[in-house]
Amino acid sequence: MTENLSSDRTQPVTTHHMSSPPSLTLVLLEAASGLSPAVQLTIAAAICAAGLAMLMQPEGRKLRIAGTVLGLAGFAMLFVEVLKRASPAGADTGLPPVFPVVFGFLALAGAVRMITHPRPVFAALYFILVVIATAGMFLLLGAEFMAFSLVIVYAGAILITYMFVLMLAQQSPVAGVGDAWYDRMPREAISAVIVGFVMLATLSDAYFSQKSQDLRNETLVRTEPTGTAEAWARLDQMPKLLLETARKADASIASVESLDAKTGTVSARTADGAPVQVVLGADDLPDNGRQVGVDLVSKFPAGLEIAGVVLLMALFGAVILARKQIELGEDERRGLAGMRRLTVEGEAGGAAGGAR
Amino acid sequence: MNTATIASMEHSMFTLSGTTLAATGAQTVNAALLVSALLFAIGLVGFLSRRNMIIMFLCTELMFQASALALIAFGKVHHDLSGQVFVIFILTVAAAEAALALGLVVLLYRRRETLDSEAWSELRETA
Repeated sequence: MTENLSSDRTQPVTTHHMSSPPSLTLVLLEAASGLSPAVQLTIAAAICAAGLAMLMQPEGRKLRIAGTVLGLAGFAMLFVEVLKRASPAGADTGLPPVFPVVFGFLALAGAVRMITHPRPVFAALYFILVVIATAGMFLLLGAEFMAFSLVIVYAGAILITYMFVLMLAQQSPVAGVGDAWYDRMPREAISAVIVGFVMLATLSDAYFSQKSQDLRNETLVRTEPTGTAEAWARLDQMPKLLLETARKADASIASVESLDAKTGTVSARTADGAPVQVVLGADDLPDNGRQVGVDLVSKFPAGLEIAGVVLLMALFGAVILARKQIELGEDERRGLAGMRRLTVEGEAGGAAGGAR
Repeated sequence: MNTATIASMEHSMFTLSGTTLAATGAQTVNAALLVSALLFAIGLVGFLSRRNMIIMFLCTELMFQASALALIAFGKVHHDLSGQVFVIFILTVAAAEAALALGLVVLLYRRRETLDSEAWSELRETA
């Protein structure tokens, strides 16, 4: 019965996704529906790889269009394959996940264009598209703080550095030929795509086998209460915010005594010393940024310090690497090291000085 | 059977019960994991196939991005914020790597006046 239900349940999701990509996907899906999930995933990954290999060829507009179609079909097939087995057994997902699919396609299209575009500046701009789409995924996964810091740090800082270096070091396009040849010609495109495909097939087999998907769903449902309890425990570590939150629920509270992490119940006292109990709701949980901050400094203080040292070392290293190198002769180097200068006539004396 | 299915679908459409939220969460997580695997593979292909050294390092950033996405997705599965904290460390490493790698690229560019990584192919083992 459940088997029957689950097979019915997958139908709407499948048809929804089949309507948007080209009809090639439909044919492929029909052909592949009898195979085991691992084989289907591998086939989909192979289609992606073939599309990517065609897209990387420098000449041939038709080949690239075919590659685009093939790549889109492969991506769509992978998404359908993974998502139709995604929902936990017994749960009915009426709503197809529109936003994850949209952000996913944006990120993948940006990434593919990034590695195929002949102009490095455009590749960097497409990488910004990838960053923004990934930040959207982060938002959907409930990581608001990381989403915004990703946009600020990556798109705002790291990519600007890349842009500057590109402009410092980029060779200007040659008239009549266009961009530099090493940007137009991929190196060993086919072998590279094969390596990527093998990795993707292995990864998707590990991530999306029926067993690991079921395990993941079970964990997702099981850890939900634990996650809330941890969030309450984090609120307990922030006394000022806890008092503020409790005051919002009951204005007469003067001091908070304890917070029960399991139920979110605050034991508090009013100004007269009378005990009060307030149950906090899910809206009163601290927001994601505060929680990440508390986690960062309470669980990983040493990591935070080491991160600071790593950044400082990178700063020094970059300054030392990028400064103008002055070529010194051996004689000048000896002089800088505090040793006696060599002269051409006094070679024997210089050797004695070196041995000293 | 058929009406029961429709009824259960309507139920899930109009009352977002806990299991339904978990189900959409599961789909988001799986989509994110898929995107992260694909981004990593694309970044690897780009790193192997591009000749421009700056683009090669940009591809490593793409792979960092993919692993960050996987970390956050798995953090969501376990309802644990450590995944998000690790992404902060990934950002740190990515920033340090960008600074150092770009310094090196500028240095190499000054030596050979080209960004082509093949210009340094005498460093490889001769077959």
